[in-house]
Amino acid sequence: MSAIIQRLARVSFTFVMMNVAAVSGLVSLSLGRRVWR
Amino acid sequence: MDTVVLIEAFFWTALAVTLYVYVGYPTLLAAWARLAPKPVHRSPVTPPISIIIAARNEAASLQARIENLLASDYPSELMQIIVVSDGSTDPTADILAFYKGQVDSVLLPPGGKACALNAGVEVATHDVLVFTDARQSFAPDALRALVAPLADPHVGGVSGELLLDCESGGGTSTIGEGVGAYWKYEKWLRKQESLIGSTLGSTGAIHALRRELWQPLPPETILDDVLAPMQVVLSGARVVFEGSARAYDRVAPEAAAEFQRKTRTLAGNYQILRLQPRLLLPFVNPVWLQFISHKLGRLLVPYALFLLFICSAALSARHPIYAVAFAGQVAFYGLAAYGAVLDRRGRAIEADIT
Repeated sequence: MSAIIQRLARVSFTFVMMNVAAVSGLVSLSLGRRVWR
Repeated sequence: MDTVVLIEAFFWTALAVTLYVYVGYPTLLAAWARLAPKPVHRSPVTPPISIIIAARNEAASLQARIENLLASDYPSELMQIIVVSDGSTDPTADILAFYKGQVDSVLLPPGGKACALNAGVEVATHDVLVFTDARQSFAPDALRALVAPLADPHVGGVSGELLLDCESGGGTSTIGEGVGAYWKYEKWLRKQESLIGSTLGSTGAIHALRRELWQPLPPETILDDVLAPMQVVLSGARVVFEGSARAYDRVAPEAAAEFQRKTRTLAGNYQILRLQPRLLLPFVNPVWLQFISHKLGRLLVPYALFLLFICSAALSARHPIYAVAFAGQVAFYGLAAYGAVLDRRGRAIEADIT
């Protein structure tokens, strides 16, 4: 049970992180920050 | 309009967008792929290919990358390897000098990956272009598998499959496990999209294009592996997914690095809309519905989630359904916070070990 919750927690964390990254991506692009190499 | 009605409308719209992107669209795609698949006529062809690698300060992995390509079972006389050094200041040039005769090198001042790829295509001598990065490795039969769908004249591009070491799950890396699960889901979507027409981009680690369909990339391009294939799709050809053409890679081990990578990817998705606004036109883009549902939907979901949270909090006292929705989201974000703690703890353990 604990392993399942930990797995769900890891996937949830990644999902949230990716959505925050989507907003961060828009901000970076709007401000003209270098996000490519 | 009554404020409560307005908030309710926002709530249901945000819920509908989120559910469509993560449930409705995948369900539609699975049904579509099952009911009306478009077959690809694969053949064991071996056209001459030009393999292009853009590298900046990749000396640590470049030698292994070149050796891996030379060890491929693809006929060596049909294979041109081009490495474009994009302003490298490490021993990249020395490695390329060592492989002179086997590898064509282009040494450029720093200009970005898109410029490096454009330069690589300029010196390519063959009609099939294969793109890869310095960090990954190919399975020995990956190149043969990658070009097999090009036997079909309707196919203009092929994306291979990138296998991340974290896909099998397990380990203490939180971000690795989460990214592995996400990447499996993403590849499933790409496979279904390929079955009904075209994928919405390729895997930068392993993809091929017909040279005649290549269009030089604007220098500021962030996602070359989306823009180049989408230009092929806009020209009317298909870009398909070939699961047996395999490349291998490690996932960025830390959440911060992965966050940076995702920020770049999603900034690139916004940029694609600016570089190719035709993608938004249903009568011009043959994969319009898929593009709107998959790429645009992904960009809208963060705002929909935020709206959903605010609206359900505001409405939670008015009806049990909103209270349940709010409690569900609090539980979900609590779980994500626990995931962040696990990630931090996992990194602390790794630091102790090393």
